[in-house]
This record gives sequence, structure tokens and C-alpha cells, in this order.
Amino acid sequence: MERREFLKKSGVLLAGTACACALPLLPAAAKSINVDSENTAGKKWGMVIDLNKCAKDCNACLDACRKENNVAMHGDKRWDIHLIRKVTLKRKHPAESPEISVPLLCNHCERPPCAQACPVKATYKREDGIVIVDHHRCIGCRYCMISCPYNARFFNYRENHEWPNKDNTRSSHGVPESCNFCAHRLDKGKKPACVEACEEINAKALIFGDLNDPGSDVSKVIAGNHVRGIREDFGTKPKVLYIGL
Amino acid sequence: METDFETIEGKSTQFSVLLAILAVLALAGLYATYRMYVEGIYLSGMTNRIPWGLQVILAVFYIGLSAGSLVISSLYAIFGKKEYKPFARISVFLAFLFLVAALLSIISDWGRPDRIFEPFYHLNPLSMLSINPFLYNVYMLICLVYLWAMFKEKEKLVKIIAPIAVIWAIGVHSGTGAIFGFVPRELYQSALLPPSFIAAALSSGTALMILVLLLLFKVTRRPLDENLVVRLGKLLAIFIVIVMYFVFVENAYRLYMPVSHEAGMYFLFGGFHSWVFWGGLIILGSIVPAVILFNPATVKRIPWIVVSCVLVVFGVLCERYIIVIPGQTHAPDLFPNMVVVSSALAEGYVSYSISFYEVLQALGVVGIIGFAFVLGLKLFKMMPTEAKVLKESDSVKSPSEEKELEKQTVAS
Repeated sequence: MERREFLKKSGVLLAGTACACALPLLPAAAKSINVDSENTAGKKWGMVIDLNKCAKDCNACLDACRKENNVAMHGDKRWDIHLIRKVTLKRKHPAESPEISVPLLCNHCERPPCAQACPVKATYKREDGIVIVDHHRCIGCRYCMISCPYNARFFNYRENHEWPNKDNTRSSHGVPESCNFCAHRLDKGKKPACVEACEEINAKALIFGDLNDPGSDVSKVIAGNHVRGIREDFGTKPKVLYIGL
Repeated sequence: METDFETIEGKSTQFSVLLAILAVLALAGLYATYRMYVEGIYLSGMTNRIPWGLQVILAVFYIGLSAGSLVISSLYAIFGKKEYKPFARISVFLAFLFLVAALLSIISDWGRPDRIFEPFYHLNPLSMLSINPFLYNVYMLICLVYLWAMFKEKEKLVKIIAPIAVIWAIGVHSGTGAIFGFVPRELYQSALLPPSFIAAALSSGTALMILVLLLLFKVTRRPLDENLVVRLGKLLAIFIVIVMYFVFVENAYRLYMPVSHEAGMYFLFGGFHSWVFWGGLIILGSIVPAVILFNPATVKRIPWIVVSCVLVVFGVLCERYIIVIPGQTHAPDLFPNMVVVSSALAEGYVSYSISFYEVLQALGVVGIIGFAFVLGLKLFKMMPTEAKVLKESDSVKSPSEEKELEKQTVAS
């Protein structure tokens, strides 16, 4: 074979291989994620947590979430799953400052590092701003947990045998878990379970709603208070904001 | 000089015993992976705070080894150093196998290894873990074509594909570094990781190749010119210095910048991983081998070269550990002005310990790859009959000279 002819042929071969390898990219690039329910169309969900109203010994939101989402509790800090959890904090200065109780959940970042990281787009951001995991596609590589700077992701290290809420799914082991603002409830026009529980006991520390609508409860609270997200300097633009942090 | 390649005989008892041991290791690894697949990966030492453990450490380690062994073949195929031709086939074969080892490690680590084809259907062009499989798969393909070309003695194809392979290898290692470098965690986030991954890959890969070659030539009783090994040792010395330079810059920057000072102090003086860093990477893995290989008296002695190669491979394994683990045990401080009094999750600094099942998995990968390597030596003509430094007279000739020679031989 002549050198020139050979070069030509190998060039064609390489280009062909490259095209073949790039083919799967096309549908991936063309696909956009749509929200089906009219209850969520055009919305941008967000939450404000008023720490002045959140009692230290109250776990109403945690219990409601656990029940609603069939969240596994294995009795071991290494593997327990918390879609919403509470930490008790104290200011460093002055030393005698009071303790505050802070509910932590997925921040549903506008720029979510977990969704960037996911190799199969199992974690993605819906058009209404919710960051959600497709448990049927996830391969369990845990890169999202590595990428999330907020420790908001938990992994089903063990099989979960409890299934109190048969209306909602239960995860098998091998996939990660995080808060999805109870997307299944939002799609039906209901509020997230934690928010509903907080309202039921009349604490009203969790304020949830549409950030796009200036008349919504959450927008009014943001307009009238000094709110901030956790470590906004990460540039992730959290949509869970706090009063009194 | 023409290099003759042949298969190894593989009829001795030791050969069969070796294959049997490797097969047992492979089965043990498969068993551990099966248990984890059925019961969940809580059997590993990983937790909600440490989602990546031993398999990821080893995967990036193997990927590094893969590049290094490719370099040896490029010495011959790109730089025309014909004295390294005897090693070319083995090194590309190993490069391919190490990449398989890396992929096996990663896939056995997944929570859902049954969904192995999902990454092919659903690419995420933004994800480093999606870009990398693409790089790895094409790299394996290139390695196979490269091997085939060398077996068929297609010199021109080898000359074309060798630079492609090396350039692609650089992409593979930059991409692997980016898996960690492009993550918003204080001890991961770094633009230096991709290039420093290449450096560590070159040093560990060259060191391991030297060891493999020495061992193979000794076990199969083939003549190996010590000067060749000495030259590779000198090359290794340069790679060690480059790795140390990257490590120095990275840590100096971390300590200097107020935002990462605390994380840098934790990295250097914060627990077990600091011992791995100072003892494993810096002293044993870099300084000692560098002293040996830069000392004209010791670099000429094969036992000393073996010692330094073992230390370098160990050092880079330590480096992989301190890339993967401390970045997780040290989480970003979510509340900089607060103290965490209590939490349902382990906050602050945590620790990671390797579990029995993880070790089994790791041994399994070694078993599978070792089995394939030994069997490959028996099935394919990979072992050169001898390897020696070429004299001036029969060193590389320019293509025109070679053609002249051919004409003369044809004419005669």
C-alpha cells in the first residue's frame, strides 16, 4: 500500500470511529427535561427556613419526611439516610451564645454540582428548579455525593425493608437519595410533607412556594427579611434560604 | 538488528501454579463483588461521608500505570530508539490490561453494576465521569490497534498510531485528574491535578515496567542488557522530580491562601493520611529513590534500581490515597462562624478504614489482570529473545538509508 493511500484510509477510519463514538451524544444533547404536571409548569420552587421559629426539640418535619418518603433508618451514622436532618449550632463568638437548631436538606442549587457530575444524567434539574434523582437510571457511582459540598446526598448502602407509605416508591440499595421537595406531591398540587407538618403544628418555620411569583408566601418573606443560603460563596446558588443564620 | 519475539513455553509446574493462584484471587474478588451487589456496599468501608474508597484509589492508580507502560513503547515507536523495541509489545499489552483493571475496579465499586450500559446511552457532556469512559474506551481501542500493528510488524502503522496513542494517553490522564480537580471540595478543587496526574502516571508506570521487565527476563532466563535498565532508571529519576515539583506547588499554594490554609494544614499534619503523605510519598516514594537514581554509584547497580522502582510504585499508590481520601474526610466548613454541637451525620473530620471485602475485590482485579497477562505471554509472541544496547553501527538508520539497504539486498 502506498503511504499516501494508507494515510488517507487511516484518516477516514479514524474520522468514522470518532463519529460513531459521538453518535450517542446527539440524543443526549437534544433531550430536554420537561415537567408534565400543570401544577408545576412555569414555577421555580424555593424554601425559606425561619430559624427564629424552629424549636430545638421539634422533629415534626423530620418524622413527616421519613414517613412520606420511606426513608431508611439503620441505626448507624455511617449509613442512615436523612433527606432532611437537623444540626445544633452555636456561635463561636461570644462563647456563651445560645444554641440554634438548623434543618438541613438538599439546597436545590440553581447550579447543581451533583447534576454536572452525574455521568448518566440520572441526577438532573427539572424546569421547576427541583434537583432530582432518577433511581431507575442511576449506576450508583456516587460522584454526586463527592460533588455535593453540602453533604446533602446519602447512599442506600443497605437494603431498606420499611415501606410505610405505599403511595410512594421505596429505593433499593445501590442508589443515592436526597430531598426532591416531595416532587410527587408538588405534581399533585400539594406542599412538601415537611412544610405541611410544620404548618400543622403551627410553627410555620418552613415557608415554601414559587420564587417566580412575587405574590407567593416565600417571595414575600424573602422581600421582607434578611435571608441567605449556606455558603453562597460556592457559587451554587441555593434555593433553600435561612433567616437568622 | 532484528528483534525476534516468541511465546513463553508455559509448561512448567510453577506456571500452572501461578495461573491457579491468580484464578483463585479472581474468584475471591468476584465473590466479594457478588455479595456487595446482593446485600449492598455497606460491606465496604465506605460511609455517607466517605463515598469513595479503595476501588477508586486503585482505579486511578491503574490508569496511571497504563500511561507509564505506554511511554516505554513510545521510546521505540516515536523516538526511534530501537534498543527498546524488545519491550514495545509487552508495554502496550500491559497498558491495555491496566486500563481494563481500572475499569473493573470502578465498575465493581458501583452500587448498580448491572446498569453497565447506561453510560453508553445517556452521556452527560458536562460530567468528568462521562467524558472519561469515552476517553478510556477509545484508548483501549487504540492500544489494540497498536498491538495488532506491532504483531504484524507494520512499521508505518506503528509510527502513525504511536503518537496518537501518547497524545490520547495525555488526554486520559488529564481527564482522570479532572475527576477530582473539578469538584468543589477544598482538597480536590485544583487546576494542577490534571498535569500532576500525568507526571505521577509517568513515574509509576516507568517504575513498574522496569520491575516487570527485570522479573520476566529473569524468570524466563533471557539475556537482558543492564545498561538498558540503567537508562530507564535515569528517565525515572526525572519523572520523580517532576512529581515532587507538582506536590510542592500544590501544597505551598494551599497553605499560603487564607481560604484553604486550614485545609492545607489538615492535609499535611492532620492524621493518618499525613503519615501516608510524608512517609509514603515524600520520603520513601520520592526522596529515597531520587537519591538512589541520581547517585552515579548506585544507579548502575540493578538491586538498587529494583529497590527504587518498588518505592516509586508504592509512593504513587500513596499519592493516589492522599488524593482520594483526605478530600472526603475533610468536608467544606458549612458554618464558618459556628460550632456544630450535635448532628445526625458525622460532621467535621471523619476517618476511612478499608474493609475485608474491599481488599478481596482489589485482589480479584489483580487476579483477573495477572491471569490475562500470563496467559497472553503464552498465547502471543510477546517476549523478545534478548534485549541489549545497540552499538553505533547498528543503531537507528534514516528511512532513506534503509531503502538503500533493501535495494542492495534485493539486488544481491
